[in-house]
Amino acid sequence: MTTDRTLDPAGLERLLEITGGDLEFLEELVDTFLADAVSQLDALDAAATAGDVAGLVRPAHSLKSNSDNVGATALGDLARQLEADGRTGVVPDATARTAAIRAEFGAVHDALLARRAQR
Amino acid sequence: MSGGRVLVVDDTDFNRRLLVRLLTSIGHQAVEAADGRQALERLRDPDAEPIDVVLLDIVMPVMDGYETLAQLKADEALRELPVIVISGVDELESVVRCIQMGAADYLPKSIDPEILRARVEASLAQKRLRDGERELLATIERQRSQLSRFLSPQVAELVSSADGEALLAGHRREITAMFCDLRNFTSFSEVAEPEEVLGFLRSYHGVMGPLIVEHEGTLEHFAGDGFMTFFNDPILQPDHAARAVHLAVAMRHHFAALSADWRRRGYTLELGVGIATGYATLGRIGFEGRYDYGGVGNVIIMASRLSGEAGPGEILMAQRTYAAGDGAIDAEPAGERTLKGYSRPLPTYRVPAPAQPADTGIITRVGA
Repeated sequence: MTTDRTLDPAGLERLLEITGGDLEFLEELVDTFLADAVSQLDALDAAATAGDVAGLVRPAHSLKSNSDNVGATALGDLARQLEADGRTGVVPDATARTAAIRAEFGAVHDALLARRAQR
Repeated sequence: MSGGRVLVVDDTDFNRRLLVRLLTSIGHQAVEAADGRQALERLRDPDAEPIDVVLLDIVMPVMDGYETLAQLKADEALRELPVIVISGVDELESVVRCIQMGAADYLPKSIDPEILRARVEASLAQKRLRDGERELLATIERQRSQLSRFLSPQVAELVSSADGEALLAGHRREITAMFCDLRNFTSFSEVAEPEEVLGFLRSYHGVMGPLIVEHEGTLEHFAGDGFMTFFNDPILQPDHAARAVHLAVAMRHHFAALSADWRRRGYTLELGVGIATGYATLGRIGFEGRYDYGGVGNVIIMASRLSGEAGPGEILMAQRTYAAGDGAIDAEPAGERTLKGYSRPLPTYRVPAPAQPADTGIITRVGA
């Protein structure tokens, strides 16, 4: 189920608009988002497994800003919350949180590819 | 405005790609760095083309935005480079901290092309203005250092000072003028080889010049064996009379060793000094294309006449100079003299001759 919170169409529309309507470049950006996210998720998992709370902050921060830019509102919010908690130094449920982020990313990924297929 | 070269420092490919694209589309050239260390390497690379503006992300691996900013501001060569911090809307605290550290501006992460354009262009304009200022300052400094080789340091300083123009335009002030020239120089230059004459003048100027600078006299001109120096202008020197006399004594002292050297070669050269104190009009004298900083007034004529009147090794001064010294000048009456162009004889004073003809002690300085 794709809701607007998973992928708000306004996000990509805005990117398309500011890049002068270049669809090809938009697809490149989407691919970059997906590739960045994979490494950010891996970094989050590694930090959570190792119990490295401070190590959660940077990947969560990057994932948050990228998600906001493509319109992945829910993913951005999850990352934002994890970044903020990571900064406090205490995240007891890190593994569960990163798993939830990975699940939400799966939905965003599917939504992005579904959107591309519709074109 | 023509485009600049912008360094985009961000660890996420997504942001770099987007920013590079936007910058390129508004006519700038974009260069990428994935973290602070890469950025500093690029900025310090002497072979790379210079960067005009830096867009700096804050949260980055290896070296974050704060550390990068601190290093930039600590680097003399990079301190003036405008840095625009890229920040999320929920990170205003970081923005404040960066601006306190010297960042020029900030850019929200949710990038708006118009805001990006405006901020980059504002920073670029600022950078160009600073570059222009820096170039101008370098030019002024270069001119000043060249000028100070041709002019007295005081005059060179005056030309580049704020009230210089008013002083150059002409002003009246009490000064002490000192003329000095050599007895027997004309006959020396007739019989000696020209190379010898020039060699002598070089060593003579080499000894006298630094003494004038040391005593902070304003050298008005050098002409062969003679020169005129004055005190209390353009820099005010309440002890101008004493300074002039002290300079004359130092000259006589150092000249003794120089003349001893030439005496061994068969030439007798002696220094004569005349000093007078009084009002003169000082400023720019000459014509467009060739001005000197000089003075006009009876005091200058009197100093010149006294120098002509002085015997070998004699330092002769006008009564007013002696009086202005207010006890700081060691002199004795030298009788009334009738100077050329003056209707009445004038009382004069002289600095007593040194106890021994060639003062010992500081002579090693001569010819060094």
